[in-house]
Amino acid sequence: MNRFICSTTSALGIIAALLLFPEITYSAEEVASALRRYKEREVSTGYYEEYEVLPRHQRPMVGVPGVQRGIFPYSPSAARVRIRTRLADSHQGIKFYKRRRCEDCHVKETKDIHTIRANLTCRQCHGGEPIASIEHYYSSMNPIRRHAAVCSKCHEGASASFASYVVHTPNPAMAATKKTFPVLFYAFWIMVGVAVGTFVVFLPHTALWGIRELFAAKEKTTSEPKQHG
Amino acid sequence: MSPNNMARIKRFTPLQRIFHVLLMAAFLAQGATGLARMYIETPWGKKLSWVFGGYESALTIHKYVGIFMVCGFLLHVLYLVAAIDWRRFPSSLFGPDSLLPHGRDIKHFFLHFGWFLGINKAPQFDRWGYWEKFDYWAVFWGMVIMGSTGLLLAYPLAASRLMPGWGLNVAFWIHRIEAILAMAHVFLIHFFIAHLRRHNFPMDRAMFEGSADLDDTRHERPSWIARLDKAGTLDSVLVPEAKVYRRVLFYLLGYTAVALGFFLLIGGLVNSPYITW
Ligand code: HEC
Ligand code: HEC
Ligand code: HEC
Repeated sequence: MNRFICSTTSALGIIAALLLFPEITYSAEEVASALRRYKEREVSTGYYEEYEVLPRHQRPMVGVPGVQRGIFPYSPSAARVRIRTRLADSHQGIKFYKRRRCEDCHVKETKDIHTIRANLTCRQCHGGEPIASIEHYYSSMNPIRRHAAVCSKCHEGASASFASYVVHTPNPAMAATKKTFPVLFYAFWIMVGVAVGTFVVFLPHTALWGIRELFAAKEKTTSEPKQHG
Repeated sequence: MSPNNMARIKRFTPLQRIFHVLLMAAFLAQGATGLARMYIETPWGKKLSWVFGGYESALTIHKYVGIFMVCGFLLHVLYLVAAIDWRRFPSSLFGPDSLLPHGRDIKHFFLHFGWFLGINKAPQFDRWGYWEKFDYWAVFWGMVIMGSTGLLLAYPLAASRLMPGWGLNVAFWIHRIEAILAMAHVFLIHFFIAHLRRHNFPMDRAMFEGSADLDDTRHERPSWIARLDKAGTLDSVLVPEAKVYRRVLFYLLGYTAVALGFFLLIGGLVNSPYITW
């Protein structure tokens, strides 16, 4: 009898433990800047591999209240119509999210200097799961606290003004940038205009000059035998 | 090109030549360290950055050399204030010895073009051709633009106290385009004019030696020589040719710069499709 109770409770206990046990985290290797990792030990360019981590599973016990993810995801189409810029979990309801890499879906956001040059991982700024939308009130990326919560991890003393730097700089040449970042757009095209103007004048000028002088040498020797002190 | 004594005419003072050599060295260092960082994604950029001890030390060098250039520029402005002929003040600025642009430069430009095409005779240049004035002011404003945006980027935290942080995005792109413009202009146009056109081939030593061949100058800048002849001061500005070993040094200096410039120019062009802009 005792033994029966004992074995049932332990079996129930095991089942309960299995049910309640936190999911295994696939917490992929999170490489801080490769630049920094090797720097101390080797004299070289400091550039090795560039890889991004898999998005991690939801952290155990840390969920977004009222939001279930993973087991019953919303349909992809439902995900698309959601307004995602103010969500606590911006990937809520997106299928196959956790098996994919950030750059699979956010191609445009991989072209910033922090990522391509300083080898930062997305998560060094955007944090672990869940990744809140930029504008979500409690997001660490919210402009009201971005400087303190994110940038100052590395840029000691970062101010709110500093954090208004646009990390994912839009392509300044594109017409769309005229709306999103007009100063950059106009500065870019003015500078390009100056550069193109210079070359449009001076390239043909210099080329013609070079050609003309090939034929001018004779004229020079005949006009030359003047006296000089 | 006769090696007889007093065959050359003084054109630059030793101070001006020192500044030019320093500017040359600093410009190439900035070009190389800047491109090393810009092209770090490509093997070419990695090799280039290796020369400077890696991606990060390339930036350290870039910043120090940049600050050095800004100081040099400020000294140059002081030098300008001292070099202006204050006694004949406003008119001296517009005289032929001044580098300030003048109406006749525009005229000369078009006449020169006409001469290229065989329409008219070559214009009578005075001491400074319009292309030389353009080079001077291009560097002058280039220094202002590169120096100011460079300082903003070198001290982003301090800079974002003076302006909103997104100004750094703008400063970054201005810095980049102006750098490309400056390098392309120097490595293509300035080098061609000073080295490759027949008149100067293989190299115009004037900026290193301080003097230019009198016969050549008489031919290329007749107004200047005529002016000096008329004032009777020509003899006082004639100097002998530099010693052979110094001339060798000048050629080495000049051709090292040309080689480095072409290396950066060609490497930059060839690899430009492979970087994230
Ligand atoms: C399966 C594709 C997918 C993957 C993988 C993915 N995302 Fe997203 N992400 C999305 C979609 C879709 C949105 C919503 C886009 C929108 O609203 O424009 C989004 C939104 C975001 C937002 C909020 C955007 C906003 O406007 O506030 C951030 C930040 C973000 N993702 C970062 C990341 C990071 C960092 C990773 C890697 C850890 C990642 N994402 C991986 C698809 C993905
Ligand atoms: C240096 C910190 C930093 C890193 C690294 C970073 N981000 Fe961001 N991200 C930001 C900031 C700040 C914003 C807010 C908008 C901005 O400044 O561009 C943002 C915005 C976004 C957005 C919202 C849409 C947009 O473009 O504004 C997405 C999506 C995103 N990041 C994805 C990524 C991905 C994917 C990576 C990795 C490849 C990444 N981020 C790396 C700081 C970072
Ligand atoms: C994980 C560390 C880290 C975080 C977090 C981070 N940065 Fe950076 N940041 C760097 C590194 C490293 C560089 C140098 C990049 C390089 O040299 O190529 C850099 C460079 C910059 C620069 C360029 C400075 C210059 O001189 O051009 C700006 C601007 C900048 N970061 C802004 C930000 C902002 C705004 C944030 C917050 C959204 C932020 N960073 C968050 C590591 C970080």
